[in-house]
This record gives sequence, C-alpha cells and structure tokens, in this order.
Amino acid sequence: MNKRLWLFLGIAVAVAFVANAVFSEPVFAGKLEDAIAKTPKGTGVGMIDPQAPPGFMGIPGAPHSFLLWYILWGVWVGWIFSSVGAFGGIMAGVGHITVFGLADYGKTFKDTNPTLNKLLTDSIRVCNQYLVGLSALISSITYWRMGRLVMPLALCLAGGGVLGAYLIPVLTAGKVNLSSYIGYFGIVVFAVAGVLFYETTPAGQASRKSAKAAAKAFEDANIHKKAGGATTGKEGVQVKSWGFSKIIFTFYGVEFSFNPIWPILGGFVIAAISAFIGVGGGFLYVPFLTSVVGLPMFIVAGTSALAVLVSMITSIFTYMFVKSVPIDFTLIGSELIGIFIGSLLGPVTSKYIPEVWLKRLFVVLALYVGIGYTTKGFLGYSVLPGM
Amino acid sequence: MNQLFLSVDSFFIWFYRLSGYAPFDFFVGTFFLALVAVVIGEFSISFAFLLTRKSIQHVQDQMVNYQNLSIDALALGDKESYKAANKLANDAFGKTFFMQIGLSSARIWPAFLVVAWMNTRFYEVDFEVPFIGGTIGFIPIFILLYVAAYFAFKPIRNRISYFKKVNKILDSYKEKTRNMKSLADLAQKKKKL
Repeated sequence: MNKRLWLFLGIAVAVAFVANAVFSEPVFAGKLEDAIAKTPKGTGVGMIDPQAPPGFMGIPGAPHSFLLWYILWGVWVGWIFSSVGAFGGIMAGVGHITVFGLADYGKTFKDTNPTLNKLLTDSIRVCNQYLVGLSALISSITYWRMGRLVMPLALCLAGGGVLGAYLIPVLTAGKVNLSSYIGYFGIVVFAVAGVLFYETTPAGQASRKSAKAAAKAFEDANIHKKAGGATTGKEGVQVKSWGFSKIIFTFYGVEFSFNPIWPILGGFVIAAISAFIGVGGGFLYVPFLTSVVGLPMFIVAGTSALAVLVSMITSIFTYMFVKSVPIDFTLIGSELIGIFIGSLLGPVTSKYIPEVWLKRLFVVLALYVGIGYTTKGFLGYSVLPGM
Repeated sequence: MNQLFLSVDSFFIWFYRLSGYAPFDFFVGTFFLALVAVVIGEFSISFAFLLTRKSIQHVQDQMVNYQNLSIDALALGDKESYKAANKLANDAFGKTFFMQIGLSSARIWPAFLVVAWMNTRFYEVDFEVPFIGGTIGFIPIFILLYVAAYFAFKPIRNRISYFKKVNKILDSYKEKTRNMKSLADLAQKKKKL
C-alpha cells in the first residue's frame, strides 16, 4: 500500500476515534454480566439457568450451534457474495436473527429482563456490521487504487455519516427491542429485493444490453485511434457556477451538477439507517447519489465506499466502546471461514447457472424473508413459516 | 469454554507463561498469537487466490477494459458512450469487489478466532492508558500487535518460495491495474497538451 493510502486509512480511523473521544461517556464494564445477574434464575421461559452450558456470548443456556453450522452458513453467505453480490450481507443478518435462533431467544427476555433483550439486539447489529465493515474497507482501498475517490465529496458524505453513525448507537443502544428491530430489518430486505427485481426486469436487462451496445459502438469507432489522444479541445475541470444550492462543473466538456447540501444530508440519513439496522448502506448510497443528487458514477462509487467505511468504524466503535455492546467473536470468526470457502464456490457455479436466474431466485427469497420479518416484527407473528 | 478452545488452550497459554512477569508475558504471548494468525491468514488467502485466479483475471480484464473505454469516451466528450462504458465498468467492479470480500475473509478469520479465545481468558483484564488516562481491554492491544506481526512477517514471507510464486502472479495483476486509466491520468495528459 502506498503512503497516500495509509494516510487515507489513518484519516478514516482518526475521524472515528475523535468522534468517540469528544462525545464518549465512561465505559460500563461487565454490562452483559450485570444483565445476566438481573435475569430471573431457573429453567423456565425468560430465565437463565446458571448450570446450563454457555451459548451465544457465553450466556448460560443461550443458543449455541456447533461451529460447523456457523461455517456452513458462512459458506452460503460467501457463495451469495461471489455470485449475486450485496444480498450476502442480508443473509448474514438472517443467519444471526433466525437460523441461529438469537431473535427467538432474545424475545423470551422481553418481560423478564428487557435490558438483556435489547443488549442481544445491539449485539446482532454489531455482528452484522463487522462483516459489512470489512467489505467497505476492501472496497475503499480498491477505489482508491482506481483513482475513483474524490476526497472533498467523500469527506462531505462522511461528515454527515459520522454524525448519523454516532448518534444512532448513542440514542438507540439498549432501547430497541428485538421485535421492532426485526420489523425494520424486514423493510430493508424489501428495498434490496426491489433493486434485485429491477435488475431482472426487461427494463433492467435492456439498460445493460444498451450499455453494452453503446460501449461496443464506441470501441469500434475509436479502436484504431490512439486512446485518449483525440480530445474536444475543451479545458479540464471547470466550475461553471457554484452556490449553496447548486454546483455545476464540467470535466473536459461533459457537464455535471449537484447540490452540495445533499451529500451531507444523505450521508447523515443513510449512515443513521445503516447503524440502526446493522447494514452497510452502500446499496442506498449508490442509487441516492446517482438518481437523487445526480452525480456522475465515477464519483459515486468511490465516495460512497469511503462514506460506508467511516460510518462503519464510527458505528462499531460507538456500539462497542461507548455503549459497551458485547459481541461473539467465535461466531464472526467461524462465519468468516465459511465466507472464504463459499466465495471459492461462486465462480465455479456461475459457469452453470445464469446470473439473471440466480437474481430471480434471490428476489423470491428476499420477498419471503421481507414478509416474514416485517409481520413478525410489527404483528408479533410471522405469516410465513420458518421466520 | 468452547471445545475448540479447550483443545488449544494449553498450547496458547504456554506463550503467556514464558517469563513469569505477567504484563511482559501478556504482550509477548499476544504478539506470538497475532503472528500465528497472520501466518495462517497469509497461507489461507494465497490458497484462495490460487484457486480463483482465473475468475478474478477474467472479471478484472473486463473491468480494466470498460474503465479505459469510459475514460477514452470522456476524453472525446462523448457523454453517452462514457455513461455506457462506465456502467459496465461498475458492474465488473461489483463482481471483483465481492470476490475480494471472500478473499479477505480468508486472511482475517484466524485473527477473530484468536480474539475469541483471548476473550475466554482475558475478558476482565484492563490496561491503563498512559498520559490520557482511562482503561482499555485486550482487543485494542491485540489489533496493534496484529499490525506489528503483519509487518514483522512481511520480509520473511517474501523469502518463502511458495509466496514468491504467488507474488509473481499478483505482480502481473498489479501491472494490469496500473494499465487502467484513471481520471487523474486524463488530467495529466490534458496538462501536457
């Protein structure tokens, strides 16, 4: 890694540290132990049996899966990452909430110890964010190498993002019960299902086909010319007009414009949603910046990745070190082994299964999960089995 | 304690009993474990890379091709072609990005399992932060020592023939990425004109 990259990573980490140092309150060590101690002892529902074997986060009697199950779920998540993409993050969350039984277990403490119920909610959120934060880090480094990261705009986004990612853990840690969390998670799954669905529709397919045709036509027309040699003769980056509501600039004659307040507001709102649900937000940043703000794609991709990274670091630090939310490292480490194996399978299976059919499959799965979680969260029961 | 951790506990804790002076032993033991995590992670990621390199190469070629095409279109002021090529470059980038998530998890999973074991042994251990005050747990110290172990292993890694072979392949990719045009390259060309 070059010096500039280290500098950029240093800035990202420093912003998160400073945000926490400025606002932090004393850490309450042993928060989990306190919550366990205050829970009624026994073998009934909503009780903790001290004699039971330790499970999730070392809580006696908590769900505990054989490590192989964590790994196998990770294989599934890794396979989705390497064959379909963003839906892998959602599936990681589904694993924590449903497959490993953490949500149902946490809900048993709703009346007997609401503090433990909410602590488990926060822990699930942070476990999800660890996996997402990793992806944001990789993405930012790659975009940086590609020269697609525009630092001033990224800082604008990250500025709003740090505030959103700090405020949400501070305001909601220990306050969101599992039912509400699952309901909101379900809504986010619907949003991802919508994006996946669009990509499988004739319109979504056509836009890719027309892009391929346009790129091919351009390549054919210019294939014999020296790349980048012929130019319009227009000057480089030129700011035509700027103000609080609109900045118009041209890049070698191609005109772009955006409202500078949007990246800050967008960064704040998206980081807040991401920290609340425990997701990255990249799938929200990209359509927001291209469709709402109207920024060119080369700025959007890189800057949104950095914004996600900074807000993830802030959010994870705030949950863990300001609000003392415990996490289960065994679970995350085992899942990472599975993700590593699953990501090796994606390229193999993609030779035999067309991408569009995989996406269609995941649209159905996303709708199932979305309906199941939304009804379970807001109605108190899932209208679909297995959720 | 988890069965997995029970089986490695006597081996891991040995590193923490070298001198009998607890603070020193903690740092030495944690550094050794971090080093073990780095070494296993490096082998694991190189193995994953060797298995998937053909797919990576294919998608990366696509990405570089469309990225360069988009920059060429921009240089010619052809906004429509730029948008089309850029969309395809981003699609290809999306694929490489998620492949990299898998590869990166191959590198860091041992670190998480080491931290999980440390959590069973050092959960209640706090260290005073000099000059600033307050206390920190074992995790920030592990992160610092993990970074130190990574850089300590780097020169050794480059001397191992297996890693030399992997590095050679990686260097060829780096060369391709270097051939990928960026907006900064375009700006420099313009200055020269």
